[in-house]
Amino acid sequence: MKVQIAKPADWTNAEMVKQQKKWNWANSAYHLMMLPGMIFLIIFSYIPMFGIIMAFQDYIPAKGVLGSEFVGMEHFIYLFQLPDIGLVFKNTMVIAFGKILLGTFAAIVFSILLNEIRLKLLKKSIQTVVYLPHFLSWVVLAAVVVNMFSLDGIVNQILNSFGIDKLNFLGSNSLFQPLLIGTDVWKEFGFNSIVYLAAITAVDPGLHEAASIDGANWWKRIWHITLPSMLPIILLLAILSLPNILNAGFDQVYNLYTPMVYESGDILDTYVYRTGILGREYSFGTAVGIFKSIIGMVLIISANEMAKKYTDRKLF
Amino acid sequence: MVESKSISARIGRIVIHAIVITLGLFSLLPLWNIVAISFSSSEAVTANAVGLIPVNFTTETYKMIMEDVQFWRSFGISVQRVFLSLILNMVLIVLMAYPLSKSKRVFKGRNIYMNLLIFSMLFSGGMIPTYLVVKDLNLLNTIWSLVLPGAVQVFSIILIMNFFIGIPKSLEEAAIMDGANPLQILVKVFIPISLPALATVALFSIVGNWNDFFSGLIYMTKVSNYPLMTYIQSLSISIEEMLKSGASSNSLENMMQVSNKNLNAAKIVVSIIPLLVIYPLLQKYFIHGIVVGSVKE
Amino acid sequence: MKKYRAILKRVTKLSIASMLTVSLAACVDSSSSQESASKTEDGKTVITLGRVTSANPKLPEGDTYENNAYTRIVEEKLDAKIVNQFEAEGEDYDRQVALAIASGELPDMMRVNSKDELKELVENDLIADLTDVYEEHASSYIKEIYDSYDGRSLADATFDDRLMAIPATNGANAPNMVWIRQDWIDKLGLELDKDGDSLITLEELENTAKAFIENDPGASGNPVGIPFAHWLNSGDYGGSALTMSSVAGVFNAHPRHYIEDKNGNIMYGSTTEGTKKALGVLAELFDKGIIDPQFGTRTWDDIMALLTNGQTGIVTGPWHIPDWGLSAVKEMDKNADFVAYTLEGENGKANVFRENPTGSFIVVRKDYSHPELAVKILNLIYDELGNATNLETDYPEIAKYNELGVDGSTRPFNIEVYKSTSTLDDFSNLIEPAVNGTISIDEITKAGIKNDAKTILEYVKDPDNAETAAWSKYHSRMKGIGLIEKFTKADTFNWTTPVYYGTTATMEKKGANLLKLEEEDFIKIVTGTEPLDYFDTFVSNWKKQGGDEIIDEIEAELAEQQ
Repeated sequence: MKVQIAKPADWTNAEMVKQQKKWNWANSAYHLMMLPGMIFLIIFSYIPMFGIIMAFQDYIPAKGVLGSEFVGMEHFIYLFQLPDIGLVFKNTMVIAFGKILLGTFAAIVFSILLNEIRLKLLKKSIQTVVYLPHFLSWVVLAAVVVNMFSLDGIVNQILNSFGIDKLNFLGSNSLFQPLLIGTDVWKEFGFNSIVYLAAITAVDPGLHEAASIDGANWWKRIWHITLPSMLPIILLLAILSLPNILNAGFDQVYNLYTPMVYESGDILDTYVYRTGILGREYSFGTAVGIFKSIIGMVLIISANEMAKKYTDRKLF
Repeated sequence: MVESKSISARIGRIVIHAIVITLGLFSLLPLWNIVAISFSSSEAVTANAVGLIPVNFTTETYKMIMEDVQFWRSFGISVQRVFLSLILNMVLIVLMAYPLSKSKRVFKGRNIYMNLLIFSMLFSGGMIPTYLVVKDLNLLNTIWSLVLPGAVQVFSIILIMNFFIGIPKSLEEAAIMDGANPLQILVKVFIPISLPALATVALFSIVGNWNDFFSGLIYMTKVSNYPLMTYIQSLSISIEEMLKSGASSNSLENMMQVSNKNLNAAKIVVSIIPLLVIYPLLQKYFIHGIVVGSVKE
Repeated sequence: MKKYRAILKRVTKLSIASMLTVSLAACVDSSSSQESASKTEDGKTVITLGRVTSANPKLPEGDTYENNAYTRIVEEKLDAKIVNQFEAEGEDYDRQVALAIASGELPDMMRVNSKDELKELVENDLIADLTDVYEEHASSYIKEIYDSYDGRSLADATFDDRLMAIPATNGANAPNMVWIRQDWIDKLGLELDKDGDSLITLEELENTAKAFIENDPGASGNPVGIPFAHWLNSGDYGGSALTMSSVAGVFNAHPRHYIEDKNGNIMYGSTTEGTKKALGVLAELFDKGIIDPQFGTRTWDDIMALLTNGQTGIVTGPWHIPDWGLSAVKEMDKNADFVAYTLEGENGKANVFRENPTGSFIVVRKDYSHPELAVKILNLIYDELGNATNLETDYPEIAKYNELGVDGSTRPFNIEVYKSTSTLDDFSNLIEPAVNGTISIDEITKAGIKNDAKTILEYVKDPDNAETAAWSKYHSRMKGIGLIEKFTKADTFNWTTPVYYGTTATMEKKGANLLKLEEEDFIKIVTGTEPLDYFDTFVSNWKKQGGDEIIDEIEAELAEQQ
């Protein structure tokens, strides 16, 4: 575990040796610090990974992993041959990307705006209030959304008063995806803004003072100071949300969709859920999970490489 | 802080306040609706007659909760779980984020560890293998089955690691000069500076553990061991599911009496209260700016 | 520094050792056998159970699913202590079963919810053969119960001539009734069912709905037509609330079931001409605004809300819908009253299908040393207790449970086992005469039925001040089952027996997709997005995407059984 360090010009050899020893020792200390976490990781993440083999078997719980028949790529082939798989895949990507993009944007904007509020009490209470919808499950929120967006709901009532025709949010294939994205953004922006707020408050206020003395107005300060300092975090969160890209939100879709909008609303997970999973087609479920993981891995690695190219620094 | 006195700035200020307050109200509405439902009578709720004001006001639901022994037992289990997980998570997060924030030159093998972490975040063996491992460690039906599998929060580790990377090297070098070992550097230098970020991941840990209902479903075989969200979720079986599973008409009747929306709403309200309490406590870490640039260069 | 290195080495060795042990343990073959039943200290046999629970068992203070009147009776009479290995309901229960199977530790006895799960257990030799213990220990009354289903019940649990499980029974719940607000009919002076045979025509239904919409007798300000659930069909009558079963019945169509037509061909009910006609009717009604304009997106809860707040007064459902679905209506509107009809078929009859006689099964794990206990529990709960003449003196705790309305899921086996006609028989022989005064209440020995009769009498004696539960019981029994009795006596029913209730290999693979196709296309036709002739496209798609394969597989299976 030897670490080479460059020898500064004015050091004696003795000092060098001492420093070298210190670095080596520090190195072992680092490994020691990683150890407890790695043990947990190995036990609870890596050992269970033997289950990945289920994706290549015809796994039957009664036979166990060792006893189930090996079927190779059969499940993957079946997945790609499902009649609506292309459509479902497209829906998943569109909805997931929409949520990530719009969600990030909303959270950033909100955190910047909230930061401008001086009244501590107001700031604190708004902060607390907006992070609440995150905690309500979609089972509960779906009822609220349906209530608001149904043909007789409030939203349509308001539209009517402006002379606009009733919109069938829940039943129209052209409106359902925006509905999913919009309501999800609304649910999560408050909670997501927490990280951005932490980043904003970490900015040295001295920078802002200096800038305004130089004559920069509010907008310029945001654009040149606040946003750039948030950039690493924004990129990091965006990249870290990539593995989830094929998840697109089962709970939400499941509780809001009906056969009328299967065409635009069916995502990979809801589709797979109905395809006999309900606890029995484990192999297929695992295969889909692996498929999602591989896509996630490809995305996250390419994003990391791109980040390195353009910002001169890898994110991890 | 910087204030600008011009008219346009004033108007801008007002607009910003208006937007933020509106967003706040929007976020509050559904919860308000749920609170109203929790204080309304069962039929009124079934009739969708409740908006922001309770209809046929009743505190029956909260009374039922108070008397529901299992509710409070589950509440306690959740509190215990969150507490234990928080300690475990935070310790592991800082222990791992620190070495990972070092460059490959200084910490050999850093990239290997990083890749192992990322890989574990992307791939999972699934419900059954994880269950088998937990079972073989004899953790079923213990609080540890809810705490240990989630010990390593990779997302948070990466977040803190990035914050650590952003800390000026001069601070660390000063500490090394003073003869500090890595652990001391971590505890005395890095942690105090990263409080907003640490508060953030602490919040993630608390929220994540409080809200998770799935672990309880598979690792606890008796309802008496369920954490709170698992318990609440188990009561929310939809009538549709009951019909499809061929329940007898007697069971359906009995179930209808409990799956009252108003009771469920009350349970949801009670289960959110702890989170409402935690957040203001942590908020002071978010609002006060942390003086990173305090080192005399 | 050497010290740190040493410690590091030791810790590493320890971790590797523990990792290896754990990984070995995790890879253990899950088909290892278990020890036989253990005994408690006082020599009682232990039975571990997998339990299906329910959300509101109404157990008295201190009683749990593991320790209640039923488990105590089992302990007393059979010298066996019940220990729950896991308790869950719905999907959660299925998941626990799967996990138990995967880890190789089945409980001694448990319920399985489908024949497919049963097949899996049989094929993998995980459960005990019960043929002999059933023959030897089942009481004659129990055997009578199963016989009342013409042998279909036991046949479902039999594989290769061996009985591998105890089947639950599923009595008939037909027909899918149309429940209409009687008080509204009176208010508007409408006339329905002039000939009093409780059959109404589609025209009568349409006119009634129209009158309701135009006059808003519920004073809701926003009357809505007849609501339907977006899945439109279900496989049985128990779960048929808000479905179109009764409309399909008009044309003797039975969606979701496999039936044999007059030429001996097997057809899928949802693809028949009869179903097409039924959909045509619904499309017409939708077009005229007679059906809820938000059909297709309205959730179950919203539909129940329509009923509860008086926006609609017509709903389809089984005989027991007043018990759990209509009670809220009465709570909101003291004047609410319902009447039950069935739509008249083209042939002048009520066309119904025979439901699957079995649903779930109780299985005993393979090497359990006392499989006969399963049958003995069956006898105890479903024969001895069910037929007890002096419940209060002989089984006081159970009598108390009945009074409190404790849920049946608290019994060791959460299944129903009763004769195929028991619902009707209990009504005709016990409830009806008691309500009419022909027999006295005390002559009824079955505790549950006695309670029902008492509650109904309460309502009859003072309808205006009775509790909602009494109102519901009155409706579900006197009007709901009463209708079934009427039809049975007048021979109004025209029964069709589906040829197949199971799941074929292709059904497993493509079933969900076909169902999605059906649900989507049916909604399109009813809402007018597609014209009625689109149905033919649906049928050909259904066949192409797996339907033909399924039919072939069914034919093959049936041929095998000959």
